[in-house]
Amino acid sequence: MQTSILAFRGRRYLWAALALIVICIAAYWIDDPQEPPNGGTLLGYALGTLGALLIVWLTWFGIRKRNYTSTSGSVQGWLSAHVYFGVALLVVVLLHAGFQFGWNVHTLAFVFMVLVIASGLYGVAIYMRYPERLSENRGGASRSELLDQLEDIDRRSRRVAQKLPEPFQEFVTSGIRRTELGSTLWQRLRNEDRSRIQLPGSATTVANQGQEAAMDWLAEQQSRADADSATTIAELSALLRNKRKLLRQVREDLRLQAGIEIWLYAHVPLTAALLMALLTHIVTVFLYW
Amino acid sequence: MAYLIRFISKNAAGSSEHHDRRLESGPITIGRSTDQVLHLKDRRARLQHAAIESRNSAVHITTSALAGVTVNGKSERDARLSPGDTIEVGANIIRVIDPPDGFEFAITFELRDDADGEYLASKWSTPATGLGGFSKRKIAWLVVAAVLLLGFIVPQLFMQNFLQAGPVHSAHLSIGDDCASCHVTAFQRVPDSACVNCHTVQRHTGPDQVSVLGVTRCASCHLEHNEPQQLVNQHQGLCADCHVDLSSTSGLQGASDFLDQHPNFRVSLKRPPAIDDQPWNIEHVELAATSAHDQSNLKFKHSVHLLAEGIVTPEGKRVIECTGCHTPDPGGARMQPVSMDQHCSSCHTLAFDADDPSRTVPHGDAPAVVQTLIEYYSARLLDSDPKASSQRLRRPGEALSREDRDRVAAEARAQALRIAEDLFERRACVTCHTVTKTGGDIPWHVEPVQLTQEFFPHANFSHAAHATGVSSCDDCHNASNSDAATDVLIPDIGVCRDCHGSGDSRRNANSQVPSTCVMCHGFHSEARDAYP
Repeated sequence: MQTSILAFRGRRYLWAALALIVICIAAYWIDDPQEPPNGGTLLGYALGTLGALLIVWLTWFGIRKRNYTSTSGSVQGWLSAHVYFGVALLVVVLLHAGFQFGWNVHTLAFVFMVLVIASGLYGVAIYMRYPERLSENRGGASRSELLDQLEDIDRRSRRVAQKLPEPFQEFVTSGIRRTELGSTLWQRLRNEDRSRIQLPGSATTVANQGQEAAMDWLAEQQSRADADSATTIAELSALLRNKRKLLRQVREDLRLQAGIEIWLYAHVPLTAALLMALLTHIVTVFLYW
Repeated sequence: MAYLIRFISKNAAGSSEHHDRRLESGPITIGRSTDQVLHLKDRRARLQHAAIESRNSAVHITTSALAGVTVNGKSERDARLSPGDTIEVGANIIRVIDPPDGFEFAITFELRDDADGEYLASKWSTPATGLGGFSKRKIAWLVVAAVLLLGFIVPQLFMQNFLQAGPVHSAHLSIGDDCASCHVTAFQRVPDSACVNCHTVQRHTGPDQVSVLGVTRCASCHLEHNEPQQLVNQHQGLCADCHVDLSSTSGLQGASDFLDQHPNFRVSLKRPPAIDDQPWNIEHVELAATSAHDQSNLKFKHSVHLLAEGIVTPEGKRVIECTGCHTPDPGGARMQPVSMDQHCSSCHTLAFDADDPSRTVPHGDAPAVVQTLIEYYSARLLDSDPKASSQRLRRPGEALSREDRDRVAAEARAQALRIAEDLFERRACVTCHTVTKTGGDIPWHVEPVQLTQEFFPHANFSHAAHATGVSSCDDCHNASNSDAATDVLIPDIGVCRDCHGSGDSRRNANSQVPSTCVMCHGFHSEARDAYP
């Protein structure tokens, strides 16, 4: 049984992050600076330095997780710490700023930080739910197994179609060639089915969402066919029905997978923006010391 | 139940060969996993793809794969098997055959002829594709460039306000967006020279104090771009850190917190000089001390004037309000001086002749009083009014003789002094003033009156700022119970503490206003010791 990253090693990083939060709040509470709390008091500089180091360390996770030969703890532990200290960072930075905000480059850095943390929390929520839904949907099979089954059905359909007149072979080939699983994350996330099919006797293609057009055409052919052909067409129909089920399963698989991946398209670029805004913040503060 | 599995393969020459395997009990598991009885090396098969076992004295194949298994060309999830049936899983073909002796069930297992390499590649693939052609890295670089451009470069050139950590204090708005007028050198703190370009500084800035305070920069206390906007350091420690105990070096009493670590109030009272015409002295007296009484030389009872039922005035009975005599200055902070002319004379009239009540003697100048009376009575005697004086009969056009003039003058002077004596000693002056009889032409001396205008010249206080929280003047000053002019009607620290508490709001028990030293005291400002 895989333990959740949140529960890693008895939630040790939760307690560590909570301790950090408590220490920072206590310091802020005890500290009595001569001016209203801000980033320029002694504690303000200390919290600012801590916040900047935390940001750099949290970003380092992106490098650590790719370093498979690293011996500095497990990636699971790093991710657990990454999540908890990422949330703690919000408190550290709020205290650093003394809760002062404005339309300026300093608050800009804060906004990027909040967006990074929010997208990260969304990612945590996704990681908590989606893997289970993924395996539930796959029913124990892997993605490639599903795809191979799909191909198997295609191959069998072709074979069955060879027993039927030429248009049926064109029909099967077109249906296979023009069935799409969605190429961009966005299409997959929205479960867009852009599949089409060129029906025999037609010069153009028609939308084939959920293989409906293909099913309809086959049903029509079956009703017109003689007894022998009808049996073979029924066989083809059965294969197509299975293919439709499989496609639905694969699409759901891709949709969930896209959900798992897409938040990183916010989290990672926003992190880069945060690093730039943080640098700007620090340079600006000391440029106009 | 014994199963036979016959593995059929082709040798290099192309002819079939087989080997058998006996299985004593079911099921015959089929799948890609290596622990399966029939181990399929086909990616289209699942790890545990299907199983063949006997059930209810028949043999079935069951699968949980959605695509099922193909039994005799038809996709099935659960099919009863009998000899002659053909099962397909990917490129693998399983045929059910008549079981030889000693077996209850038998199958052959072989790869389809045309299966070579078929399962090694698939049309279906789902490569990671990114977000419409934008990879995470590409998006990241774009955003970084945008932040650098819009967050730093553009503000540097066109909108430096965007770089501010907080708004400029309204007192500095005239500087506008000229950042360099204070931020003289990049990466260096704002120097004091930038402040003294406009500001002059007074107390607490000499070399001694600065070294004592350990403060070298104006901006250490006067912090800009901060919120709440507060250019003046309000912090308790600014004063209290040193003033908690200065007794050994300066003799000042300790003061570190208004709530309970603050000396009792000491008022600055005017004291008459030993010799007349010298300036009055100022004595700092603790309010609670017995010596804390006013020596203004005025006789006055607040209690008599503030009777709730009112007092008799020339216009009838009237209730006198505090504000009838004490009017705030235009700023509302302090009270304007009380004067005889404006505030007293309507009741305390200086009329001296009941027949002519509009005629009054001047106030504040004893010789002028006597002179006024002499002139008045001389005129009266010289008038033709027979009642005014005993006149000798004269012919028309005859001038007064010298004797007559002298006699009238003497008579007028005697009359004037009689009236003056009445005014000075019995009727008018003595009501409010201490009058002593002396020798000389004008034998009365009125002690000069000096009312204290500033009881707390070192403190910032505004009546206007207290107008909302206090219902009447008596709340603090308790004037209606004061029976003597010597009473100092200045509230002591306890009255202030009803509303004002510690500078550290956490120490205040109720909703007291957190009050640090600079709420009443100035750090740099000069004390207002000079009296008007």
